[in-house]
Amino acid sequence: MDAAINRFIFLLKQRGARISPAESLDAMQALARVALHERETARTVLRCTLIKDLRDLSMFEELFEQFFSLPKRAETAAPGDEPSPAAPDTTIQTPDAAAPATVGGQPDGDNAHEDALDIREYFDESQMVTHFNSHQDPHDFSLAEFGQNLVLSRRRELLDHAMQNALQVLKARRLKNASRAGELNFDEAIAALDADLIADAVTELLDELSDAEIDEGLLQKLSARLKGGIAQLPELLKRYLERELALRQQEAGRAARPARPRPDYRFTEQERREMTEIVQRLCRRMRGARSYRRRIGPQGRISVPLTLRRNMKYEGIPFQPVLTRHYDEKPRLVAICDVSLSVRNTARFMLHLVYNLQTLFEQVRSFAFVSDLVEISPYFDQLGIDDAIAAVFDGGLLDTEVDSNYGRALERFHNRHLAAVTAQTTVIILGDGRGNRNPPQVWALEAIRRRAKQLLWLSPESRGSWRMGSCDMPLYEPVCHHTEVVRNLRQLGEVTENLLRRSAIRP
Amino acid sequence: MFESIEHTIARLREQQYICDRKLATVAFLALQMQKPILIEGPAGVGKTELAKVVSAALGRSLIRLQCYGGLDEAHALYEWEYGKQLLYTQILRDKIGGLFEGIDGLREAVARLDLHEDVFFSERFLVRRPILQAIDSPDPVVLLIDELDRAEEQFEAFLLEVLSDFQVTVPEIGTVKAKTIPYVIITSNNTRDLSDALKRRCLHLFIDYPDEGRELEIVRLKVPALRELLAAQVVAVIRRLRALDLRKAPSISETLDWARALVLLDADALTPELLDETLHLLVKYERDTQRVNEQLAWIAEPIQAQPQSMSSEAALTPPQRPAEPDTNFLEQRRQEHAARYFTNYRGRTDGRTGGA
Repeated sequence: MDAAINRFIFLLKQRGARISPAESLDAMQALARVALHERETARTVLRCTLIKDLRDLSMFEELFEQFFSLPKRAETAAPGDEPSPAAPDTTIQTPDAAAPATVGGQPDGDNAHEDALDIREYFDESQMVTHFNSHQDPHDFSLAEFGQNLVLSRRRELLDHAMQNALQVLKARRLKNASRAGELNFDEAIAALDADLIADAVTELLDELSDAEIDEGLLQKLSARLKGGIAQLPELLKRYLERELALRQQEAGRAARPARPRPDYRFTEQERREMTEIVQRLCRRMRGARSYRRRIGPQGRISVPLTLRRNMKYEGIPFQPVLTRHYDEKPRLVAICDVSLSVRNTARFMLHLVYNLQTLFEQVRSFAFVSDLVEISPYFDQLGIDDAIAAVFDGGLLDTEVDSNYGRALERFHNRHLAAVTAQTTVIILGDGRGNRNPPQVWALEAIRRRAKQLLWLSPESRGSWRMGSCDMPLYEPVCHHTEVVRNLRQLGEVTENLLRRSAIRP
Repeated sequence: MFESIEHTIARLREQQYICDRKLATVAFLALQMQKPILIEGPAGVGKTELAKVVSAALGRSLIRLQCYGGLDEAHALYEWEYGKQLLYTQILRDKIGGLFEGIDGLREAVARLDLHEDVFFSERFLVRRPILQAIDSPDPVVLLIDELDRAEEQFEAFLLEVLSDFQVTVPEIGTVKAKTIPYVIITSNNTRDLSDALKRRCLHLFIDYPDEGRELEIVRLKVPALRELLAAQVVAVIRRLRALDLRKAPSISETLDWARALVLLDADALTPELLDETLHLLVKYERDTQRVNEQLAWIAEPIQAQPQSMSSEAALTPPQRPAEPDTNFLEQRRQEHAARYFTNYRGRTDGRTGGA
């Protein structure tokens, strides 16, 4: 069981969920405390211990479905990945034909269990009780897919071995017909599984079960039952392997992307210095969050403990009151930057701005978008400016050559990253607002403004051209606190000046 | 104690709290594993209420810590009572004087005083704030840390020690270990992400609006005076309101308020007029009011329909607004047309025209 859960956690991590070892242990402990006969309970337990972020929830549900149920048949194993029904091999016929006969032979009417072989034929319920800590009524007992997986996962090495063999055969096949490179045929993979291999697997599985903490009498009953059902166990194994294969293939799909030659996006020393200076001024203008701790200062409220402590020497008569107050911390920033072709020239400048913001401000999260939206703050944190900007334009992070879609990007941000925006955050959007006639999704921007302390939009296009073509700026502008035209350092300087002046007028 | 998931559901129901299996599983596990629960979800779905009913069901007292911006450990964990310390020193001056009788030399006097130093930094002079109270209580309690997302991130760091080891370190005294393990419930409205370190220590639970059957059950249980037909109508209307994309969807508590209001108004059945008059109990933003008014006919549908047909509806989607002739569209097209011939405006730097 631990092996199965571990594998599940491994796959979750691979799909981006952050799960610590402590959480894995929690999951195991929690599973031990509930009866596992119910799929939904197991799902809830795993979800509440492993998934702490709403964004991971859908991924979890999907993987749970995939992992804790055996695929129905090869054709449903991986719907998208099946390249051609006309596979050259005819050996597939055998398992295909065998499957409905054996499954249909069981007194299993309901569809819910049709997809998974009903293992209760082979295993005694009392044994299951010892194994899975189940307390259910024995008449009603049925080991759902979850349990089956646990049994199958007991012999991972063996299954891995079988997998390796299958993959070897598969690779050899792919070499033969190179025209279909990149495509994997599942039927072939399954057909490649040796009958001998499966027979071995069954014996080993039996051995393994006999090693487990089952008493003698039970084992005899078990093997007696197995003799009747041994023909079906290979089938079960096969399905298990199919599923594993599907999961592995997805993993492989996540592998590295082809690298592209890097264009040069370097900045001169002069540019850098000016930018830093301007951003520092901007930084001063943007008021940040109230500090967490009060600090001693000339103004504020009397702090009783500190006053008492300081005036101990005067026998507690408060000659020297101590005043404390909250101070504004450095602001938090969220920068969202358009890096599409239409603003390529200014995007370089904008990213430079974002980079500087990120180095100067403590809490900055930056995002880049064209049609898709990705967070780029980790790259900007780790790489130097030139490398970081090149990384964005390379197309490795997001496709920079599609048409920009502001509506989609804003909606994405709203759905995935809105929690990054708090009442202390200033949001800066850099872009020309040309969404190529896609729905502008102004509501998403409104939602961002509602949560943010301030929403600034810096556009590289002059105001006059905002009304031309498919520019959505007239829609976005009233939503923002400020919109400014910034195309180069000089303009950025002016804007900063402007903002500073405005803040001076304000109390 | 909760003995099993079913038992948990039953105990919570005794306290008039109807929950699904998911929630009960987490509530049960939290008690068994002695782990805090972190509950997220929209406002008004019963996050805080859960803490109250758990404390009632377990027969424990509830200690509540409401979080807000600027909350610090002096208000959450403990604070030294300087005034009391000072007062005691003043009153005990004679005693302190007596302490030094027969001692000559400053060094010896300090050494003597050193022996009694812990008197003034003892738990006697500690003001216990909610978290220390919860940990120090001789009987197990339920500790509710409400709306943690309102407090600063630094505050979360203070909670980590409490949540994982159930202990508090007071520098002057040492570590105060929990006498009994409190049942901790943390709620968050998700206005910001909580830190991973905190999430890691908790069981995570997301509560959403209940489905129609459960909500009906809740309304019937909480507002028994409401007529059966009316309750079904209320729930059906609320469901439709939630299906409209509102800025603030009506929560369960608002549903109950509305139901109570209808009882006070002595309504027999919901009529479109009555709905219109009482709508402000449910809709709290002006823009939402406009949107609801546009769709009022659709929302009022279940009122006219037979109650039997209501349960059969599968997916709720408001009807599309009738496409109104868009005057802006023509205007826009004209401008686009002009822009195509307008080649050298300064908005473009790459020489391309048209949308990109």
